[in-house]
Amino acid sequence: MSAINVDRLSHVYSGTEGGVPALQDITIDVDAGKFVVIVGPSGCGKTSLLMMLAGLRHQTRGAITVAGKRIADPDPERVGVVFQEASLFPWLSALDNIEFPLALRGTPRDDRRRRAEQMLTLVGLEGFGARYPHELSGGMKQRVSIARGLVQDPPVLLMDEPFAALDEQTRMTMGHELLRIWSTTRKTVVFITHSLTEAVYLADEVLVMSARPGRIIDRIEITLPRPRTYEMMATDTFGRLRERIWQQIRKTE
Amino acid sequence: MTQAQVVLARLALLGLVLAAWQFLPRWGVVDARLLPALGDVLAMLGQLLGRSQVHEAIAVTAAEVAVAFVIAVPLGAAIGVLAAENDYFGQIFKPMLFYVFSVPKSIFLPMFILIFGIGFEQKVAYAAFSTIFIVIMSATAAVESVKSDHVLVARSCGATRTQILLRIYVPSMMPVLLETLRISMIFNFTGVMIAEMYASRTGIGHLIANWGENFQMPQLFAGVILLAAVAILFNEVVRHLEVRVSAWRT
Repeated sequence: MSAINVDRLSHVYSGTEGGVPALQDITIDVDAGKFVVIVGPSGCGKTSLLMMLAGLRHQTRGAITVAGKRIADPDPERVGVVFQEASLFPWLSALDNIEFPLALRGTPRDDRRRRAEQMLTLVGLEGFGARYPHELSGGMKQRVSIARGLVQDPPVLLMDEPFAALDEQTRMTMGHELLRIWSTTRKTVVFITHSLTEAVYLADEVLVMSARPGRIIDRIEITLPRPRTYEMMATDTFGRLRERIWQQIRKTE
Repeated sequence: MTQAQVVLARLALLGLVLAAWQFLPRWGVVDARLLPALGDVLAMLGQLLGRSQVHEAIAVTAAEVAVAFVIAVPLGAAIGVLAAENDYFGQIFKPMLFYVFSVPKSIFLPMFILIFGIGFEQKVAYAAFSTIFIVIMSATAAVESVKSDHVLVARSCGATRTQILLRIYVPSMMPVLLETLRISMIFNFTGVMIAEMYASRTGIGHLIANWGENFQMPQLFAGVILLAAVAILFNEVVRHLEVRVSAWRT
């Protein structure tokens, strides 16, 4: 069953000279429980596409269906979002940040506390709930952010370059952690990144987008077995997949 | 330096200034007619606080300060938020607000006297006028301190407009708003004092101006100490709140 369906989506930015085409005829079908990574040159509209999947921005043409229903506005029960640079609320503790979506819905205090504690444990931050964002490291902040995205238990999790601001080591660890969290929750994940290594390491399928106007120019199935290990990065298969994505991106620029 | 050393050094400095104030006039190093000794000033302050004329003056000044503050802060905040949030309004009014902000407000005082006469309304109106611009500027800055990322996150979590206002705008703006409260009180207090000293029949500012003209230095300094104490107290209370709500600001 497909969790996400994007049907011939196009987007044109209204500009001075009749508009700038940003996204062109994008069709994507993601099966439930799959991990899909989108890569592409800067400014190709990856983030715009993700915003549309989240219902945060409206496309000019085409339809987006998530969990069997059209997406028109943000619906945190179907789609959780993890943004670039954590973007936690600095005036709330880690636990309160995770509870935020539940608090908006008026979930009773005890329920949401219990739920947030579970999420905190899931992302490996047990005991850090009372800390404020400025007291957490970059990686820990992103863990809290993932917990916030998952707290309403949506079937789909969208991630916009979540580890871009982290150093190389933390980034590798966080990728690995994300796969662990994903394998226990079985969410459908759409993940945007600039890192080809990260793309191959995480994905079931990599979608390559062209420069503006953004189109899907290649779909690469990542056949590496799961669970993924760091050692796989040194294999020929890994290198070949990475190379193929790189060739596609280079062609578009 | 450790915290204790800093506190110690500050107390030492304060002690030094107060001791100089006490002993330099006594020893004849400075003219006691111009700078009466601290002890004499404090004794005078005690006496003044027992006089009904002074009680009335304090009540009048306090009322003027309070009313001007209650007018200037909400009104200025509303205009500032409007200027920041509404592009149309902002583009039209912002330059004018900025221009008027740069002009010293005291030059308008004679106009306030002509319009309102000498009395409560004139002093309140002038103080509110001299305060409102700083409130507008700060409120604009407060709105601009709200991060669009945070609004986006809230929207992705399904927040309504009201929820975004209460859960994102208010906490984001709170540190700047409290700072505004504190700074606008300084402007407000100054406005009332200038109005009272320039032309008035009552109020602490009026008494101080009179004492100065009549060369009553112990009274003058007692008034200064009283006003300084009230101003510093208000400032510190709000600053304390400010530190508490902005612990997350790094």
